[in-house]
Parts: sequence; structure tokens; C-alpha cells
Amino acid sequence: MKRTFYFLRRNTLAIVGLAILLFLVGIAVGSFFYNAPSDQLATYCGTDTGNGVGLVNGTNAAGCNAVVCTYPYDQPAPQPNCFPVDPNQVSVLPPTASLAHGLGPFPFGSLTTTADTNEFFNLFAAMVKGAPWSLGISAIVVLSGSMIGLFLGATAGYLGGYADESIMRLTDVFLAIPGLLLLIVILSTAGSLFPGFYGHLEILLIAFIVTDWPIYTRIVRSQVLVTREQKFVEASRASGAGTFRILRRHIIPNSLYPMFVQMSLDIGTIPLGLATLVFLGFSIFPHVNFPEWGSITAQSVTILSSTLQYCQENSACLFPWWQFFIPGTALFLFAISVSFFSDGLRDALDPRLRR
Amino acid sequence: MRMWVYIVRRALLMIPVVVGVMTITFVLTNALGETQRIETFIGPSRQGYAPTIKCDPADNSPHPAQCTNPAYTRAIKALGLDKPAPYQWGVYIYNSLTLNWGNTSKSSDASQLYGITTSTSVITVLSWYLPYTLELAAISLLIILALAIPIGNYSAVYRNRPFDQAARVISFSGYAFPTFLLALLILLAATQASGGFVATCNGGSDAFNSWFGSWPSYNCLPSGSYPGWMGSQNHFHTTPTGFPTVDAMLNGNSYLAWESFKRMILPALVIAFSAIAGILRFVRNSMLEVMNLDFIRTARSKGVPEKVVVRRHAGRNSLNVTVTVLGLTFASFIGGFPIIEDVFGLTGVGNLLVQSVKQPLDYGLVFGTTLLFTIIVVVANIIVDVLYAYLDPRVRLG
Repeated sequence: MKRTFYFLRRNTLAIVGLAILLFLVGIAVGSFFYNAPSDQLATYCGTDTGNGVGLVNGTNAAGCNAVVCTYPYDQPAPQPNCFPVDPNQVSVLPPTASLAHGLGPFPFGSLTTTADTNEFFNLFAAMVKGAPWSLGISAIVVLSGSMIGLFLGATAGYLGGYADESIMRLTDVFLAIPGLLLLIVILSTAGSLFPGFYGHLEILLIAFIVTDWPIYTRIVRSQVLVTREQKFVEASRASGAGTFRILRRHIIPNSLYPMFVQMSLDIGTIPLGLATLVFLGFSIFPHVNFPEWGSITAQSVTILSSTLQYCQENSACLFPWWQFFIPGTALFLFAISVSFFSDGLRDALDPRLRR
Repeated sequence: MRMWVYIVRRALLMIPVVVGVMTITFVLTNALGETQRIETFIGPSRQGYAPTIKCDPADNSPHPAQCTNPAYTRAIKALGLDKPAPYQWGVYIYNSLTLNWGNTSKSSDASQLYGITTSTSVITVLSWYLPYTLELAAISLLIILALAIPIGNYSAVYRNRPFDQAARVISFSGYAFPTFLLALLILLAATQASGGFVATCNGGSDAFNSWFGSWPSYNCLPSGSYPGWMGSQNHFHTTPTGFPTVDAMLNGNSYLAWESFKRMILPALVIAFSAIAGILRFVRNSMLEVMNLDFIRTARSKGVPEKVVVRRHAGRNSLNVTVTVLGLTFASFIGGFPIIEDVFGLTGVGNLLVQSVKQPLDYGLVFGTTLLFTIIVVVANIIVDVLYAYLDPRVRLG
């Protein structure tokens, strides 16, 4: 343990990764003590009504602590602090708007919208409140996947014979399907049972766990096969230890390290996978109650090319780079920090590569 | 063991995996409603698949006499839906192995996008788009290998020096970056750099159009229309081989050959960038291991120049690990295709999948593309294993 930390400390990238990771975990923990501008994250109740002046959803509807005023872009501004919107385009507010509404420093206070619902997200609040969702979902998926993998892999590797054959053939089948495709096919058929995924977080988790467990089974089994033949296991068996005790005391502890490396590698890809699913049109996230980093990225990207085209044709337009940049950076930082850390961990744990 | 015995044995081992994957899709088909399931696997019927229909179609009374629907009875019998689940499984596996993968739904998004006006067999539709995906995969695989092997080798030689660290940071960025965002940004950047969205194709080339889609749109072509070998305008399945660039060359159209190749460069680069991290790391680590072996020390001590040691002695020996890793990472590599093909608008199997999961879903295509991708992965793994056995004869003996 001590030596592992020693080798880890010598690896600059791993330390950088660990620092970023701790920072993100800190945000996730801190988010429980952060009061978002309202209990829902759609603090701006503003959508374009399309006809004349648009103070939307009435004035100061319940739950809104600020109301965004929008008006069609080809008509004069009805009052200050109103923003022009093309009815055919999803509304994009310039980041200065956030300053006007006292939503925190540029560019965090700026807004993002979800294309289908036209709800505005306060980006800063969404990032903070989304941290526990992103990290929590990743942690749950990776932990349960690895537990299943640990159990099946240890059983297969230690028992051998038919148990080994059947478990490993099953693993082969699941490993042959590309992960994203398995997710898509599970969610699309589950979608026929549950129209709309809002609130059905458990389906999502199950789909991710089903994709995640086989790699752990394979890793644990190969590690168990090596450990099983070692002298101390033989000694333990000779002194009368039962199968369960040997598994629990000797085999499993010795096969944990490669599993940790794989876990830390996998955990960063889960928000990416979520983002991909939302990008493909599975309406799971973001919900005002579940602001999740990956899905906010995906939602903000869907309007990108049309906005760029719009901006090119209309001179008074600010390209909303912050919409994808901020959630994208959060995703990227999470994924890259865990992969740096896992790479360092692997180097530190593998004696052949230490020198 | 002879080489061909090894190949045959390895190919036979693929059958249980494929049957297993079909079993998974079979389990998932059970989640569908009965009518949906029948329409997916039998195809649409003129009188529909309600269990009972009006005995006389002209009967307009409020409560017409009901008779059993012959189409429904036939479909239930064909799929074995009145029999227990193992029988249904057998029928499903038999149909799948005999390439009877169901039908597309003509009202789905995918069908409308690709101009499939009647319900078509899934296998036919897949055969139009598979060659494009294979060509894209070949190009991106070449890019990955051309980059990963030299960079991995030099990272191992200059271990923990700036070169190694930079290679690691860059390759991990590719792994950690959301692929769709990267692809979209690169597409938009290429569009901006070559003139923006404004120009429309009128003889000249629209900048967005020159990077988006697998072929130029027809009003960008010098001739103003697609040549006959390119099939329908919506789904460009080309003749005779189906591979876009190859076919354009075979038909002597160098303009279209270059256009179709040019449109694959950016997607292939994005795929390579997002998939290179895993391979690079394995190449580096295997090279590190080889560099510590005795024969390298011997080579050095007898005065072989360092460059030759790295390239000949160590580089070649770390190659078989690279081949193995290719097999291991192939599933995640090919799993990135749907997103890339969707963002760049390419007519490949991946894009077909993406279109078919949009509402209303096209279950025939969803299951078909999944099976096809899995078969690609399994076949690729066999090729990798055979290649490995060829590179390292010890494997064959075992």
C-alpha cells in the first residue's frame, strides 16, 4: 500500500488527475449545501410566445426568481433587458444577459435551453447540482458492475469446469456486443414498455450495469486463475480452509487491484455514454430535477449547427460557445482525471513497468 | 497444428457467441407488443394483425360480426407465438441464422430518410450500407496503426520524458472528450475554414456540403445528376462492389472517388483520435516489457546501434501484443461508429442504427444493426487471432 502511494506520487499526471477528481467530488459534496436559485433549476421561466412581446409564463410565475423577456427578432425591443429571438431558432441568450439578471460571473451565469421543452437552465446551478447526479450514477454503475463481475469471475476462476465454461461463454457473448449498441438496444426495447424515460432512472442504471459487468468478470477470473495456483492458497487448503473462506480471505483480495484499475478507467466513460444516449434522442435527461452534465452537453449541442448558420446570416448574434463549453469541460475533466489516475495506478501496481 | 485447422477451429468457436447474441436480442424482442413483433419479423399485412377482423369488409353496422384474422393466425404459427418460449427461441435462431432478420417499418424515420418506401428485408438494407462502414473502418484502422505503433515505441524509449507525457495527455484527451461534441466541432470548424454556410451549390461547392454527407449533393455535381451505378438518390448503394471509393474508381469517375474519400478523412481522424488511447497504452507497455528483456541487452552490448535495437529487435517483438490489443479494443472502436456517422451524415450501418432509434422506432433495423455490428466484432476477433497465430507460431501449437 505504502509503496503504491510512493510510486503514484512520483507520477505527476496521476497526481494531477487525483487533484481534479477530488475537486469534482468536492463540488458534488458541496452541492448538497448549495441553494440553487430555486428548488427547480429552470429558474428562468422564459419562452418565446412568438407573437409580439413575450413576457412568458405570465409574470413572475411561482418558482421563477427572474423572468426572461424575449421578443421576435424582427420587431423592436419592447423594453430594456429583453432579448431578440428567432421563433424558428431555439432561444440563445448572450452571457451578458446573465449579468443583467444577477446570476453570477460570466460565463457561468449564462443560460442554456433544452431544445424540446424550451426550459432555461441556469448553467452554474445546473453544473453544481448536476455533479452528484453524474458522479453518483457513474459510481453506482461501476460499483454494482464490478461486484457482479467479482462474484462471477471468482466463482468461474476458482471452481473451474462447467461453471467456468458457462460463465465465460456468457461473458464472451456480452463482450462481443459493442457497449453503446447494447445500451441502445436495451433502452429502445425498454422504451416500448415505458413511453418516455422521465423518472425511470432504474432502467438506465440496469442497462449500464448489464453493459458493464462482463469486463470485470474476465479480469477477475484471469487474476483468480493466477492466484489459485500459488503456494499460500495451497497451504490454506491443506490446513483445512473451506472454499468460501479461501475465496474470501485469499483469492478475492489478491484480485482486487486490476479490478480497481478497470473501475477507475470505466467510471469516466459513463457520463460520456449518458451524453451519447441523450444525443441520440433518448429523452432521459436533463430534467429540471436531474441536471446531468453529459446530457446538458448533448442538449446544448443539438442546436449548434443551426445556431452557427443563423449567426453567420445575422450580424447581431453571439455564438453561444459557453453552452457546450462549460458542461463539456466538466465531462472532459472528469473522464480525463480518472484516466490519468488509473494509468498511474496501473503503472504503480505493475512491478514489470515500475523500473 | 496446421494453419487451416486452426482457422477452422477458431471459426467454429464463433458460432456459440453469435447464437448467444441472437439469444439476447430474442429476449429483448419479448418486450415488444405482439403486433409490433409480428410486423417486425413477418412484415406488414393488408388487413393488419388484429386477432379478429370484420367478416365482411363492407359491413358498416356498429357491431359487425367478427371472424378470426387469417393473417394473424398465420403469423402466430410462423413465429411459434402459441408455443412455449424454447420453441420460439428455436424459430428465432433458425430465422436469424438463415439471414431472415425481419423487415423495416416503412413509417419509421430511417426508412423515410433513406427513401425505403416499402417494407424491405433488413438484410437487404444492411447490405447497402455495410460496405461504407467497412471502408471507413479500414481507413481509421490504418490511421490508428500508423500513429499508435511509432508513437507507442518512442513513448517507451523516452519513458516519462516530455514526449511520453505529451503523447499520453493527447491520447487520453481523445478518450475523455465526448465524441459527438468533438465531431460536430470539427465539422463546423472545417465548414468555417472553407467558407461557411452561406454559399449554395450551384456548380461550385458549398463549404458545409463538402464535408457533410458521404456524397456531394446532386446539384453540386458537374453533371447535375448521379451516375447510374450509384443506385437510388437516398441510399447510395453503389455497384458492383458496394465500396464507395472502389466503385467510383472502377466506374472511372475520379471526381466522385476523390469526393467520397475526402469525406471519410475527417470522420476517420475523429474515430482514430477517440480510439487511440487504449492501443497506444498497450503498445507502450508491451514495448517497455520487451525493452527489459535479455536479448535487448545482448544486442546493445554487442554494439548494435540504439535505433536498430528499437526498430528491429524490440519493435517487431512488441508487434504481436499490438495485434492482440486490436482484437480486444475492436468492440469499443466499432461502437463509436454510429455517433460519427450520424454527425457527419455518412450512409453507413451506424447512421442507420441512429436513425432507426428515433421515434417511431424501427425495431427490425435496431436488432439487425446490432447483430451485424456484433458479427463484425466477432469476425474481426477471428482475423486478429489468426494473425496472431501467424506472427507467433507458439499459439498454434497450444
